[in-house]
Amino acid sequence: MSGIDRETLAGLADALIPEADGMPSASQAGATGALLDEVLAVRGDLEEPLAQLTAAARGTEPAAEIKRLEAEDPALFEALTTAVAGGYFLSADVRERLGYPGQQAKRLEDDFDQELLQPVIDRGPIFRPTPTGGQRNDGGQV
Amino acid sequence: MPDRDVLIIGAGPSGAVTAKRLAEAGMSVVCLEQGDWPDYERARSAHPDFELTSGQYWAWDPNARQGPGDYPIDDSDSDITALMWNGVGGGSVVYAAHWQRNLPSDFRVRALDGVADDWPLTYEELEPYYVRVEKDWGVSGYPNDTAFPPGEGPPMPPVPLSPMGRRVARAHNELGWHWWPGPNAIATQRYGALNACVQRATCLWGCADGAKATVDRTYWPVNQRAGVELRIRSRVRRLLVRGDGLVEGAEYLDADGNEQVQRAAITVLCANGIGTPRLLFLSGEGDDGLANSSGLVGKRLMLHPFGTVTGLFDEDLESWQGVWGQHIHSLEFYETDESRGFVRGAKWGLQPTGGPLSMTRSYPWGEENAVWGESFHREVRRRLGHSAMWGIIAEDLPEESNRVTLDRTNPDASGIPGVKIDYVNSENSQNLMAFHRERARESLLAAGAYDVIIAPFIEATGWHILGTCKMGDDPADSVVDRWGRCHDVPNLFIFDGSVWPTSSGMNPTATIAALALRSAEHIVEARRDQQVAA
Repeated sequence: MSGIDRETLAGLADALIPEADGMPSASQAGATGALLDEVLAVRGDLEEPLAQLTAAARGTEPAAEIKRLEAEDPALFEALTTAVAGGYFLSADVRERLGYPGQQAKRLEDDFDQELLQPVIDRGPIFRPTPTGGQRNDGGQV
Repeated sequence: MPDRDVLIIGAGPSGAVTAKRLAEAGMSVVCLEQGDWPDYERARSAHPDFELTSGQYWAWDPNARQGPGDYPIDDSDSDITALMWNGVGGGSVVYAAHWQRNLPSDFRVRALDGVADDWPLTYEELEPYYVRVEKDWGVSGYPNDTAFPPGEGPPMPPVPLSPMGRRVARAHNELGWHWWPGPNAIATQRYGALNACVQRATCLWGCADGAKATVDRTYWPVNQRAGVELRIRSRVRRLLVRGDGLVEGAEYLDADGNEQVQRAAITVLCANGIGTPRLLFLSGEGDDGLANSSGLVGKRLMLHPFGTVTGLFDEDLESWQGVWGQHIHSLEFYETDESRGFVRGAKWGLQPTGGPLSMTRSYPWGEENAVWGESFHREVRRRLGHSAMWGIIAEDLPEESNRVTLDRTNPDASGIPGVKIDYVNSENSQNLMAFHRERARESLLAAGAYDVIIAPFIEATGWHILGTCKMGDDPADSVVDRWGRCHDVPNLFIFDGSVWPTSSGMNPTATIAALALRSAEHIVEARRDQQVAA
């Protein structure tokens, strides 16, 4: 369906997001497979840059290629990291391991704290009032 | 003969407030808006792909977004990119809803600090209009902030302090620094057309929950019921100027590209600090522009340099949730202290930091702190839910070399010339920002942050577009008078942020709205004496 070389992309993606610290790598989480399809479904604009950068990266060493992209082509690097990390964080497993449930609807709690605010009130006003006359800072008359 | 009493150009905050007041007073009002209604079906805040998709339809940069109401802005010679929403709701659609009144000193910078110009009005003159507009708008907060003169506060209680706000508040108490529960145009209870906020912290990318007060929700349905006619996808090409110098309306292109004319007794420009000078340049003879005998149309552009300072905490702050919006604000360093090496100051607002994808971006985290590779998971865990961010709004002083000009080489989709902006971030602004970043760093360290990251300066922060049609009493030195009436064209008014003589260091919507209400009220009061294009 697209010109994205997914095998090459997986190499780059796992160099960006390796398996470590109890977390799966990008490709293990599906960020270059089914989740990439989800990403492209809502971000079709990423398809062409991913095709371009994977074509150029074929056969290269992923970590070095990432460094090169970051230094030489920030726009492609941005597209790569957006697609890979964006897909990675769509994974329900990854979200659960991170303890991130998404942007949830949470009722407002009234945590207003008069005691906490009182020291601010006790220090009194801090604004400069509208001048009504007298000297101004530069010596002129107000 | 004019077929309406009033033509308003632009359906953002100032246009909405103006239309409401003038319709209430019995005037017939039509509003031409170049863009469309925002489509909240495209707000993805409740979806897992929110972070991936939010910057597309809801992009802030019109050059990137290229929506139906957008026009090209050449910012290649500007240190800051202009951000805006060209559609019904205007800037309120994409603002963070920090509702900041200006301070008394903001209206008197010449008198108090010997720089720039005083406004031809005072805080005290504007205060009753702040109170009125806050009720119409739907503002939450806590009254009698010690940084402001005492008086009536907003109609709803404040948003939660949240764990991050409480931490920083305690630290400021120890430091002896100001903080206050954040004033926001965010509903904390059901209020008119608004629902109570549910803390998704997605405010800047289309509030799908209907809690952020945007004028497409709060004003326009009311205005339309009151008889105001709102015509969307109507791009004004030029104002129509009669031989006697009065404006008799506007020529525009409708949604189908057909040329139309709308006549009115008076015309009010509410098209923002770039769109309004653009229209004046398009409407004058030659390149001088209409209403420009002062030569100041398009000049003194102010864009508020913006900074962020982010603290990392051991405590789980669940900092992807909350209001964005501000949980608390601080005006501790707002007023001038010349020993700091600059004049004027900045306002700070404490904000969430977003979901996991946001933790991987170069802003605000800095390219030198990139997460990629072996440290990825550790770094994401350090940031996600464990960070809080001060957003810093810096006052920039007006300079005539910072300006908007017409760009005939780069027209919009209808063939109407685009604009070019020139803006240099001044030495005063740079010194001001450096000082404030350091103080914000101290604030977060005192709050228990084990690390603080100062974001690099980036261009894409020009939400506040001010100053390009200065207000003043002297026609030689200003474009409009204290009521927003053009000195040169007595039936042409400007009610948007263009008229600000100085920029303050505050998010501007509160003052844009209050000033529009005050100026609209004056149109009503002075209607018997108003010269019109009859």
